Amino acid sequence: MLDSFILSSITFVYFGAFVLYLLMMVMARDILGRIATIITWLAFFAQTLAIVLRWIRSYELGIGHAPLSNLYESLIFFAWAITLLYLIVEKRTKNRTLGPFITPLAFLAIAYASFSTDINEGIQPLIPALKSNWLIAHVITCFFGYAAFGLSFGLSLMYLIKQLDSPEKGNRFLAIIPGKRIVDELNYQMVVIGFLMLTLGIITGSVWAHSAWGSYWSWDPKETWSLITWFIYASVIHSRLVRGWKGKRIALLCITGFLCVLFTYFGVNYLAGLHSYAKS
Amino acid sequence: MTSVTIEKNRNILWRLFSSVKLTIVLLILLAVACIVGTLIPQATQSQMESTEFAMGLSPELLRFFIFLDLFDLYHSILFRSLIGCLSANLIICSINRFPGTWGLFRAKVRPDREKPFEALPPHQVFLTKGDISQVSEKISLFLKSHYKNAHTKTDTDRHFYYAEKGGYSRFGVYIVHTSVLLILIGALIGSFFGFEGFVNITEGDQIDTVNLNKGYEELKRALLNPSSVKSHPHNYKKEDDILNLGFGVRCDKFTVDFYENGMPKEYKSELTFVSDGKEVDKKSLMVNHPVQFRGVTFYQASYGQIPGKNVRLKIVKNNETGHAFSVETEVEAETKLPGNEGLFAVTGVKTNFMNTGPAVQIAVKPFEGEEVLFWVFEGYDEIRKKLPGPMLMSPKFSPSAFKPYTFILEGLDTIYYTGLQVNRDPGVPIVYLGFCMIIAGFIITFFASHRRIWVRALPDKKGISVSIAGTSSRDQVGLERELMHLTNGLKAYIEG
Ligand code: HEM
Repeated sequence: MLDSFILSSITFVYFGAFVLYLLMMVMARDILGRIATIITWLAFFAQTLAIVLRWIRSYELGIGHAPLSNLYESLIFFAWAITLLYLIVEKRTKNRTLGPFITPLAFLAIAYASFSTDINEGIQPLIPALKSNWLIAHVITCFFGYAAFGLSFGLSLMYLIKQLDSPEKGNRFLAIIPGKRIVDELNYQMVVIGFLMLTLGIITGSVWAHSAWGSYWSWDPKETWSLITWFIYASVIHSRLVRGWKGKRIALLCITGFLCVLFTYFGVNYLAGLHSYAKS
Repeated sequence: MTSVTIEKNRNILWRLFSSVKLTIVLLILLAVACIVGTLIPQATQSQMESTEFAMGLSPELLRFFIFLDLFDLYHSILFRSLIGCLSANLIICSINRFPGTWGLFRAKVRPDREKPFEALPPHQVFLTKGDISQVSEKISLFLKSHYKNAHTKTDTDRHFYYAEKGGYSRFGVYIVHTSVLLILIGALIGSFFGFEGFVNITEGDQIDTVNLNKGYEELKRALLNPSSVKSHPHNYKKEDDILNLGFGVRCDKFTVDFYENGMPKEYKSELTFVSDGKEVDKKSLMVNHPVQFRGVTFYQASYGQIPGKNVRLKIVKNNETGHAFSVETEVEAETKLPGNEGLFAVTGVKTNFMNTGPAVQIAVKPFEGEEVLFWVFEGYDEIRKKLPGPMLMSPKFSPSAFKPYTFILEGLDTIYYTGLQVNRDPGVPIVYLGFCMIIAGFIITFFASHRRIWVRALPDKKGISVSIAGTSSRDQVGLERELMHLTNGLKAYIEG
């Protein structure tokens, strides 16, 4: 199948982009960064194409639905969303130093989707509970939220790494990272986008749950973990209002928040649960 | 003396609850509590798992867990106090801040301020020729066409203009915070005035009561005494409360469609609502498409099969050239054997006997001799490969237990029952209103900003110098873009 082939090939392209971004930082050669950007854009377009092809193929199989219905498809969409968001940020800030922190996330997501043996790549028909437009809205908003939090995670790492920098050190990698204030500001913007999207995701999810099985909130582990994530990022937003809480503390909270995102996504399946992708 | 301490205490409490630091602490505590709630299996969700978990605890620890209601954490006093503190925090914080915000919103800004024009970048200033009164008129018109609120102030040789927009954005936060409260209020209303229940209706049957989900009190008893549960794994399930709906629901038909690969595609129940003996309404119920009747919502939750009345059998008389007779009979109806040696009846029916599929129990009463009882499976040749040896030997599972006949089960009538989740939750509209408001509030808080624009026109020897300045409550980049846009637009408007 062409779409699966494209997707598994892109894994290596994202890895290549990561290596180039990293070399750009270490060797301070701008040209490497420019190549990395071009490669990332190409991978992004190819991935978009593959997603569309997969969508068309599901119609050819007579079970047409948006490719957002199982773990494989959601991982692919996550990688797509985080790459898109990163490319937009890169274009707007005209700065590539975030690249080496973000491309590995896209790479890992696609690699896990394509090469893990416990992930089913097939296009499956939708069980009745998943046939809902709310579900599509739910998946899209959640994963854009996760993508923004992924960027915030990268920026927080950047912030903590930048703290090691000092003029006398003369470390090229550290010197090339923008100032702490700029990183902090951008991080906050990502948190805001992510928080809005996560809120929308939780809301659409609970409207869907209400129409599918009668209760908009049933405290199942996946729901609860998304709420935990929401609490963490709500505290990030509020901690900017407390004097002296900028910078490091926010970076650490954002990293905790992203770990919660990862746990909501993967870890919950190891807890007792009612509804999860793993089940379907 | 005492009144002073009370006043002071009130102040301390008030100060505590109006601090954003407390908000952060509470949000993190709530997150921690939720984590605990996902690590300890919650009895209201999976009774099996929490019973198992409870049995692994020492008796003291179990009593401690039960004392803190950790098996129903999200409804415990502990958790509710955290939510209560957060609500108090929200309300008091808002009360504290609102007057200030309102004051800022209503404040009349003087157009003739000099401060905004200090350290103005050169590209926000331009020189123009012409008559000052004409230029002044044009600036005023230009600003009025871009902003709802625009004022002018002129003294002898200086002309000032002020315009603003997005002043409402300061209230976005209050909308967000109010919606959080609304959602909590809606949830509270639901838990007080709503119910959650379930019911199974067999095709053709009508019900007017539903079983309510078990309360935690009952589950707690089971947890405290797990051995009673262990020895009678099912008897505690019978204690569901019953609720009378006040109307009847009949399931006329239940259908289930499958995809080619065997996965379920659609479940559908045709329901008729009956009140005072009259059919009031008919509705089709599907997953994701609940139906409502008199404020009660029905959801398609599950389904199952129970055996019907009709049984088709083939009876082979072995000694006479293997002649086979097809017999259709009803459960418990006595039928003559083909050779008239006696009567037989189907006395038991299982749709899925020991996980091997349909089976019926046959009782043969010969006119002479003892009654013979045995089970007959559908597709016996397949099944005998799967059955354990001792069972195969036992006459109880042999279709030829009554010589010289062999009984073959051809088909079993099954009927469906539909499993419905039945809820009433009057809090839902309020919760949904909260959902809409919180999104609106976020968009206003995060994406709208209060922008203030000052323009000054100073005539001097070289012409008229026009300066444009501004401030914004957030989004500095957007403001700079707007100022550049305004400067160019105004210049073109005056000169064009
Ligand atoms: C879980 C519930 C809460 C949510 C979702 C929430 C959300 C928000 C949001 C989105 C903002 C805007 C931040 C910004 O302007 O950048 C905000 C600001 C704020 N929140 Fe909350 N909040 C919650 C609870 C609370 C509580 C309990 C308090 C009480 C102390 C509080 C106090 C504040 C304050 C003082 C501001 C700043 C308002 C301003 O800028 O004038 N929040 N909150």
